[in-house]
Amino acid sequence: MALTTGPADAIAARSGRLSPAQRRIERWRFLPWVFLAPALVIYSVVVVYPMLYSTYLSLFRWDGVAPKKIFVGFQNYVTLLTHNEVFWIALKNNAIWLLAALLVPTSVGLGLALMLNSRFRGSHIFRSIFYFPAVLSLAVVGLIWTWIYHPDLGLANQFLDAVGLKIFKRNWLSDPQIAIYPVILAATWNAVGLPMLLFLAGLQTIPPEMHEAAKVEGAGPMRRFVYITFPLLRETTLIVLAITSINALKAYDIIYAMTNGGPANRTQLLSTWMYFLTYNYNEVGLGTAIAVVLFSLTLIFAIPYIRLMTRKV
Amino acid sequence: MSQVSTRGGLTEGQGRAQRNSASPARRGRFRSAKATIFYVALIAAALIWLMPVITLVLTALKDAGDFAVNGAFALPKSIRWANFSEAWQTGIGNYFWNSVIVTGIKVPLGILIESMAAFALTHMHFRWANKVFVYVLVGLIVPMQMTLVPLTLLLNALNLIDTLTGLIILYIGFGVPFGVLVMRGYFRTLPTAIIEAARIDGCSWFRIFYRIALPLALPAVVSLCILDGVATWNEFILAQIFLRSDELRTLPLGLVQFSTQFSTQYDQLAAAVLISVAPVMLVFLLFQRYFVAGMGGAVK
Repeated sequence: MALTTGPADAIAARSGRLSPAQRRIERWRFLPWVFLAPALVIYSVVVVYPMLYSTYLSLFRWDGVAPKKIFVGFQNYVTLLTHNEVFWIALKNNAIWLLAALLVPTSVGLGLALMLNSRFRGSHIFRSIFYFPAVLSLAVVGLIWTWIYHPDLGLANQFLDAVGLKIFKRNWLSDPQIAIYPVILAATWNAVGLPMLLFLAGLQTIPPEMHEAAKVEGAGPMRRFVYITFPLLRETTLIVLAITSINALKAYDIIYAMTNGGPANRTQLLSTWMYFLTYNYNEVGLGTAIAVVLFSLTLIFAIPYIRLMTRKV
Repeated sequence: MSQVSTRGGLTEGQGRAQRNSASPARRGRFRSAKATIFYVALIAAALIWLMPVITLVLTALKDAGDFAVNGAFALPKSIRWANFSEAWQTGIGNYFWNSVIVTGIKVPLGILIESMAAFALTHMHFRWANKVFVYVLVGLIVPMQMTLVPLTLLLNALNLIDTLTGLIILYIGFGVPFGVLVMRGYFRTLPTAIIEAARIDGCSWFRIFYRIALPLALPAVVSLCILDGVATWNEFILAQIFLRSDELRTLPLGLVQFSTQFSTQYDQLAAAVLISVAPVMLVFLLFQRYFVAGMGGAVK
């Protein structure tokens, strides 16, 4: 194709004149809009308009079917905050999840990236191994880990048996007190790959001479990390934190595959509770209100990211 | 073994070892001991990391009785390939082809419109480029839940609920922000001189796009193909809400359904999961460097 013949040939082949009709189209000021139209139209219809319409719907009481929606103002939000216990459980679970996502996958990803950044025999294989869970769907991750947590046949309890820690054996996913943590652990397994990849990309941009110079000056590995590596990874870190927190708030399928919100709604997240309210209880107003809350939370973590992306425009 | 470079995590012990040790010979032995420990630790970590996958493979290869007696983490007594064909016939085959259709149509169409948009944003001297880009970027952070109810109403009105066509349209829409981000990142690195030269020679914008810009952006197109392909293959929530009939289900959805229906047949379920993962595994092994390149494009 043109890639092999080179762009110069392509240009040469096209040095012929445009017809007058083509010229007219070409001079048309709105031509960029023609290029943008397919993407912008479908994106606006599928993402932007529904987003705005959901916000509007959150101000109504509606079952999703009745011809009449009753305007209730901010009543749905008040109901959620004051009369909906599960909303608070979900919010708390989201907070735990978010905290775990900001701490664990990011630091494990950084640690792995530091270890695997140097080229040694097999480093690529190890990169692939540690990245691999990230390409699996969260539904699949959920199913696999459900077996690991199986009370009798699962790896988790069998392992505790084998090392003589029987007292720590649990019915991991049906114990209401702790069920959310095993789910978060499973999600973490999937969430480590991306930070690792981004940190590896960030590390490649640090010139090795800086480390050499610091070593000559007698700086130890700890000092070099604190004064060279970490400051130069600042931007990468910001991106990693933003992306992992946005992804953490999007978690949904893994809950569906592992616990379906149970036991007794103890593993609901805002995303799953929105689904339950909307599609199981026909509370469209409450459901969309949760979606708005979820979006607002995401926005808080996404603003630094969007700023960074657009600053470089 | 001693190839371990002095950069990165290994330096910690090594730096000290170098300063403390007197003779070069002793230093060499010290270093190779360190390297061995490093390798052993790394291999152990990798095995623990892959434990869930190993369990999955072992379960898929043994029969249900063996599993119930010896548990998941034991070598199969005899390898039972029939698990795969049985899982395939109990519906997974059907889900598999649905996923192939959806991914196969969504990815190329999406990339075409995304690169057209990205091209307009980077090379067509477009006054609104920044504003349009920010508008598109918002889509990256919108939770699906924010769109579900209006999309239900919309697809109902268009008679597209419970059709693969409807699902593909939604996927294309949701794919726009990431696709534009990646393609725009790459188009910006193309030298303007080439485009300008083509303009001066009288080449139309459409021709510049598909004869020059798009072929030059082939690495980005391949990266996006793979990232987008995997994401589409794995998508769950939209499929769950907008596909109602069993024969239309895509793999992730079908698997969860399969797991509730055959919750005790771990052997078949494991085989089913493995079937669904196989294409992703294959793509990952063949094209892994593009994962890095694609993500890099999204970040820079």
